[in-house]
Amino acid sequence: MKLGVFELTDCGGCALNFLFLYERLFDVLEFYEIEEFHMATSLEGKHFDVGLVTGTVSSHRDLEVLREARNRSDYLIALGTCATHGCLQASVELPLKEKLKAVYGDEGNPMRALDPKPVVEYVTVDLAIPGCPYDKNELFQALIDIAKGIEPVRPDYPVCLECKLNEYECVLVKKGLPCLGPITLGGCNAACPRSGLGCIGCRGPLPGEVNPAGEFEVLKGLGYDEEYIMRKFKTFARWGP
Amino acid sequence: MIIETREFTRVEGNGKAEIVIEENEVKDVRVKIVEGPRFFELLTLGRDFWDVPDLEARICAICYLSHSVASVLAIERALGVEVPEKTELLRELGLIGELIESHSLHLYLLVAPDLFGYPDAIRLATKHGELVKEGIALKAFGNRIRDLIGGREIHGINVKPGGFGRWPGWEELEAIEREAKALLTVAKRAVRLFSGIGEYGGKAELFVATDGYLTGDSLISNVERNFHYFERIEERPLVYSFAKQSLYSGKPFLVGSLARLLLKAESLTPTAKRLFEENRERLEAGWVSYNNLAQAIELVYALERAGEIAKTLLDKGFEPENVPVEAGDGEGIGYVEAPRGVLVHHYRIAGGKIEYSNIITPTAFNHAMMEGALLWEARNLYGNAPEDELLRRLEETVRAFDPCISCSVHFVRG
Ligand code: SF4
Ligand code: SF4
Repeated sequence: MKLGVFELTDCGGCALNFLFLYERLFDVLEFYEIEEFHMATSLEGKHFDVGLVTGTVSSHRDLEVLREARNRSDYLIALGTCATHGCLQASVELPLKEKLKAVYGDEGNPMRALDPKPVVEYVTVDLAIPGCPYDKNELFQALIDIAKGIEPVRPDYPVCLECKLNEYECVLVKKGLPCLGPITLGGCNAACPRSGLGCIGCRGPLPGEVNPAGEFEVLKGLGYDEEYIMRKFKTFARWGP
Repeated sequence: MIIETREFTRVEGNGKAEIVIEENEVKDVRVKIVEGPRFFELLTLGRDFWDVPDLEARICAICYLSHSVASVLAIERALGVEVPEKTELLRELGLIGELIESHSLHLYLLVAPDLFGYPDAIRLATKHGELVKEGIALKAFGNRIRDLIGGREIHGINVKPGGFGRWPGWEELEAIEREAKALLTVAKRAVRLFSGIGEYGGKAELFVATDGYLTGDSLISNVERNFHYFERIEERPLVYSFAKQSLYSGKPFLVGSLARLLLKAESLTPTAKRLFEENRERLEAGWVSYNNLAQAIELVYALERAGEIAKTLLDKGFEPENVPVEAGDGEGIGYVEAPRGVLVHHYRIAGGKIEYSNIITPTAFNHAMMEGALLWEARNLYGNAPEDELLRRLEETVRAFDPCISCSVHFVRG
């Protein structure tokens, strides 16, 4: 099978994380041939059985790359919170013109920037794997499943559950830290509570039956002001209670 | 006439170059950073200082910990916080891990294919499997350190103002000391391999680094000591790039491994110092391509230093201890050597909230120098070599800077 990796505007983490599979990368290569992946190879491919797209659409160049990737891939995966929810760069709430002016100092837009948006707002994808970055085991499993013709499983539990399974002390209840674990999609094995710190929501909201309003009240009860909580909710996934 | 390269491959982020030809001569080269803007400083404005390092880390995945540490240092300086030596040592260990992870990625997976004439490390592995495996082993070790100190391989949030969320344990430090020793041989082989690299990319004349080896209170260069970035370095926006360009007293300059070795060789560990001395003459010539060799020597430094730090902490013994940080007012700059060069985080804080923030990344510092190096190569090769060879050489020259393009695109007007 042929694999392509396409990077739009992002931190490079979601592309890099793929290389952090280390030896298991060679297991992936048992099934896939990497035909295009700017960070890792000078080759350029034509058609892909599986395409991975990371990053947000932040310029016309990104949009073209994305459309190409969609047209040339049978199965397209939006990889990482930038691609699935917009992540940090999409959370700055100002008109694009003003943002550009603050950064580059004039009102022109010679590089044809667009307001950063996740790829899922422009094209349909076959699978979305969030996370900033996503969990590399999740991608590994998804790629192997797809190669074997199995539809990949999607996690459907909050980070909170992973804390309980690992028997980590609850940082929300015990330390009063602003932790988004109860309403954030699990799959990272509660990486941040492991360090004794609150989940900052990098995997985006848990779809389905969550209770962001409840979380909002809990945090307010702990003494955090509304604006602070709202910002936390919006940082990675632009959502609210 | 304008020759445009394709988007650079085997570099981090998206960029390309334009070679401007007039009357059959190379007039100019423009490095176009096409990676979109990311608005990081705007993102931090009005935020609680405590949350900021975790967000700033997301500027770059290859060197997230450098961003966390630079951000934390700026905050601590602004709020007048001093941390004990053990905290500083552990942060340095984290940065060392990042150096190992980043340099080995660059040397083995991005540059080595050029040395052997392969399009990538995967194809290189079919012939030189051992070499690629060694690179991967180094990279994994660097990441184990990042996981331990930073909290995750990528974008961990463990480095906080005043200390850490979780402190490393005894056995974990012992393991680091052991593994660092075991991998030293591998790093020494890398130096041998990369000392064979050719001379290209022109010669740099101005070098800038921080005053300490990996963190500092100010900057130094080969013409002066101890200055602040805003006293000498001027940034200007370009119409053809999302990254700005920096000039030092009006001239391009180099940051990164080569600059560090040339300015701070006296701080190297024993084996690294010996290897530096053996290669000193060539490194001092300033060829941009020798940044690769400099990185290989720094791998040796990093492994020796990782062992030293682990040993110091184990010998002295240490208890986890975080310094409390109170919200307040102040201004501070964090200077850190990210693997690819000087990184600056500068904040003004009022009532615990970020009021002003400015970040300059290594690739932005190197941007003007990169154009100079490409111009040199293009002039050298245009008309003397086939176009595909010219383009390949330009890509190799860009690669020698180890640019981190996504890092470079989010400034606030200073
Ligand atoms: S989701 Fe996070 S790790 Fe992935 S590319 Fe975006 S900023 Fe980087
Ligand atoms: S705990 Fe939360 S912030 Fe941390 S990695 Fe998991 S989802 Fe992301």
